[in-house]
Amino acid sequence: MTWRLALFGLVSSVLVGLVYLWTQPLIAAAREQARLDALYALAAPLLVEGALAQPVEVVWPDQPPSTLQNPAVITPIMQDGRWIGMVVPIRTDEGYSGPIQMLMALDRDGRIVGLRTIEHRETPGLGDRIDIAKSDWILSFNGLRYDDLTPPDWAVRNDGGQFDSFTGATITPRAVVSAVASTLAYLQQHDLSMDWLP
Amino acid sequence: MSWKSVWIRGLWSQNPGLVQLLGLCPLLAVSNTFENALGLGLATLFVLVLSNASISLIRSLVPDAIRLPVFVLVIAALTTCAELLVQALHYPLYQSLGIFLPLIVTNCLILGRAEALARREGFVMSALDGLAQGIGFLLVLVALGVLREVVSGTLILAALPPGAFIALGLLVALYRAIDTQLQTKRRQSDSSDVASRRVRTTGELS
Repeated sequence: MTWRLALFGLVSSVLVGLVYLWTQPLIAAAREQARLDALYALAAPLLVEGALAQPVEVVWPDQPPSTLQNPAVITPIMQDGRWIGMVVPIRTDEGYSGPIQMLMALDRDGRIVGLRTIEHRETPGLGDRIDIAKSDWILSFNGLRYDDLTPPDWAVRNDGGQFDSFTGATITPRAVVSAVASTLAYLQQHDLSMDWLP
Repeated sequence: MSWKSVWIRGLWSQNPGLVQLLGLCPLLAVSNTFENALGLGLATLFVLVLSNASISLIRSLVPDAIRLPVFVLVIAALTTCAELLVQALHYPLYQSLGIFLPLIVTNCLILGRAEALARREGFVMSALDGLAQGIGFLLVLVALGVLREVVSGTLILAALPPGAFIALGLLVALYRAIDTQLQTKRRQSDSSDVASRRVRTTGELS
């Protein structure tokens, strides 16, 4: 009986594996398209005059926060041969279920032009309000620089900060706020004047 | 059982959404727009037909003791396939369905059909039953989706979770009203002969 159960397990795994192999390239392409769409929506204010350049790989100096991949692929926004902003992918594992992936567009002053979650598995109806499709909450970051707020203000209201938290879901917005804050703090501290941009 | 009665059962007399009230979690959560409802309905239909068919195929190989784990395994594998396929073919739908796509595994309609029917019936009958039940579920889901999407333009409540409960309640009430009417009509046409016979009987007695 055990063998039979194991056999069923094996057969189903092979089946799922085959479907996975077949769909993988399609999924990767669809994901890339979704990322690009988000990128355009995000950087829209800067794209009036500028244009998205080819993504570049950067290696962050010192110890970047865990929200930044190292090396990371960022997308500069260029205008007349000089950069006016960039789109940085950030992620946090402090959400309620699984990693939260975001894209953040910054202008040359380190001011947030746009922020979006592009992948998450937060609880529907509670934590998923970090998603622009469900709520405007994520827009409350727009226009902020790290030093516009004191460090304690970079937190959800429950923790004495500036940002609304959701009824029944504090962990999710807390994760997003702290990810954004630590990324901005790091970028500002290193005064990344983006000399490394081509 | 005839094919016709399988269809009647799935679409009307034993409709999963309106009569059995199975799978309410996705039914209520994802019925806020037509597109979501259609997407989840089709994914559920896909899993239901294939799980009924494959469970019917393997029914003689599965001893009773490991029946449930094997069924859940089959359903979970099929749901994973459905999730991968939706992701590959229509990524925005995958994003808007979110967690409810993998949650098809826990839709009791699917395990219910496996337990109640597919483990006893033949391949064709099981697949057909999956199709009928799945379409019955899909239709209710789509009706809810359309209803809520249309009404939410004027009444924001319809788009919120309580709106789902109210809309489903109205649909069930409508179903009951129509069904009662149909049954009374049937009974009337049945009993008209009986009544006339009774009249004759009493007439003889007095």
